[in-house]
Amino acid sequence: MEALLAAIGRHGYVLVFVIVLAESLGMPVPAALALVAGGAAVAAGLLHLTTLLLLAVAAMLLGDSMLFVLGRYMGWALLGFLCKLSVNPETCILRSAESFYKRGKATLLFAKFIPGINTMAPPLAGSMKMRPDVFLRFDLAGASLYAIVYIAVGFLFRDFLASLAHGFQTAGRAVESVTVLALIGYAAYRVWLYRKHAVYRVVPRVQVEELARKLVSEDRDKIVLMDVRSHGYYDSGAARIKGSIRIEPNNLSEEIKTMPKDKDIYVYCT
Amino acid sequence: MLREQGFNAFVIVGGLAAWRKAGNPTESVPRDDLVKLPTFS
Repeated sequence: MEALLAAIGRHGYVLVFVIVLAESLGMPVPAALALVAGGAAVAAGLLHLTTLLLLAVAAMLLGDSMLFVLGRYMGWALLGFLCKLSVNPETCILRSAESFYKRGKATLLFAKFIPGINTMAPPLAGSMKMRPDVFLRFDLAGASLYAIVYIAVGFLFRDFLASLAHGFQTAGRAVESVTVLALIGYAAYRVWLYRKHAVYRVVPRVQVEELARKLVSEDRDKIVLMDVRSHGYYDSGAARIKGSIRIEPNNLSEEIKTMPKDKDIYVYCT
Repeated sequence: MLREQGFNAFVIVGGLAAWRKAGNPTESVPRDDLVKLPTFS
């Protein structure tokens, strides 16, 4: 914290602007922490409050507006890209859209405080054809709230934060040991999980040329093509392999009830 | 999961992109199959 405070004291405004803008564009950087440090720097007289607040809000508006425009004109392709990082891309798009639509524009007021939603909200608003002036109004309010809250935390609790940072330094060794042990334990668990499911990981693969040959041969009636892509079905220009059928990838347990076991199933997920 | 359930499943290498690149036929997703998502307007 002291090091960050010193850095902000030297390059303050630029640093906060860049970090906040980067987070608005979806990068995993701690904008909240930068704002807290900025608030602490204001309390220390290193930065000016109004300038810091205006720059932070401007950075968020800039990043959010870019994602809003991209969402509006790229349809759901951008959301698919952002959702690819999530565990369930299909659920990510559908649930995000439905949740956003139910809660309406007010979501933008609090989206920044919720990890995951903070990046999805602007392109969702664009994809769902929210009016630009409405988006800007709500996003400005949300960005201002976010900046004020975290700058205020840094401003009001500067001394406490300094003690906390000092405490972390003192307890450094213990914290390091616990962290290393936790990481080793997690890695061991992942290895165990990987080995447990290894037998199912060897899924036969087929080249498109071989499949194309089979589809014109006498075996073509024994073949079913299944499209299990997460986001190929939202835009009117979407295409698929001719003759394939869509299967909801996150509803597989229901879908397999109607799948034929006497046929060869060829799936594609990209 | 399909193989776990006893289905004879295979993965198409390269997916739709490889299929297209090889010049194989594709089709537009029918309107009825498109997933309708909510909009504000």
